[in-house]
Amino acid sequence: MKPIRIKELITESLSSEKDTSGIMSELEESGVNYSFGNGFRDKVIDKIYSASLTVHREVDMVKSMNTVFYRIALTGAAAIIIMLISIFLTEGSLSINSVFGLSDNYNESIVCMLTGN
Amino acid sequence: MVKELYSNLDESQLVKASIEGDKNAFTQIVDRYQNMVARTVKGMLGDSVFAEDIGQEVFIKLYYSLSEFRGEAKLSTYIQKIAVNLTLNEIKRRKRFFSMFAQKGNAEMHEFEVADHDHETRNDAKELVNKALIGLEPKFRIILTMRMLQGYSTKETAEILNLPLGTVLSRLSRAQEQLRDILNKLS
Repeated sequence: MKPIRIKELITESLSSEKDTSGIMSELEESGVNYSFGNGFRDKVIDKIYSASLTVHREVDMVKSMNTVFYRIALTGAAAIIIMLISIFLTEGSLSINSVFGLSDNYNESIVCMLTGN
Repeated sequence: MVKELYSNLDESQLVKASIEGDKNAFTQIVDRYQNMVARTVKGMLGDSVFAEDIGQEVFIKLYYSLSEFRGEAKLSTYIQKIAVNLTLNEIKRRKRFFSMFAQKGNAEMHEFEVADHDHETRNDAKELVNKALIGLEPKFRIILTMRMLQGYSTKETAEILNLPLGTVLSRLSRAQEQLRDILNKLS
């Protein structure tokens, strides 16, 4: 195709009345084509699906961390409740002294206990 | 066999299957629309690796926004809008970069774009088309790309560029003036 015809086609593209749907096919016949290189599709698919696999793994890890956290928290809470109940049963109250096991000790006996005399 | 099966599906079926995680369905979408995206991106940015990166980004963005696609417009229009936005963003990014770091600013950006458009050009017709495109300001170049390389009507161009029809028409006539100068210089 002669350069003059190419120029006409370019100019016609900017005419608002002109139907431009056939211009590209005419340009393609003279070698004007735009395409991505070989392997474009594979690169896109690799990027998307390898990234989504990573995201899935991260989500799975966060989910399992949440489960572990709940188990540890529940076990801890249960242990504290059992300890408080046992203190209440043995000491008869839940005062700070009874929690620390100091209810039956006098000051002298604490000194004896600490010094070993 | 599998490829043939997917090539018979319409776009809504492909979108639905892709959202459900069907890799073959999304591969079919990439196959079907990659040349359309290449015309927009390479028409605007030139035949370079940068354009290829933007092309990949278009499909990655499409994949993550497929669930937002409600099927009110054609899938090709939806993809075209993503391609236009990413391409114009890249031009803005280049402009910012060259205005910050280059001494000659826009002139150096123009040289860079010309080099990109000349890359791998082995055809007189393509060279002529590329020179016409690169000579235009980006806001006019996108309109020429939509009209010449995609064959869209002025109404479709306005819809894709998210511009009023009147703006597209006035840009068409201003682009014609710029193009006349460019083509005269080329002869």
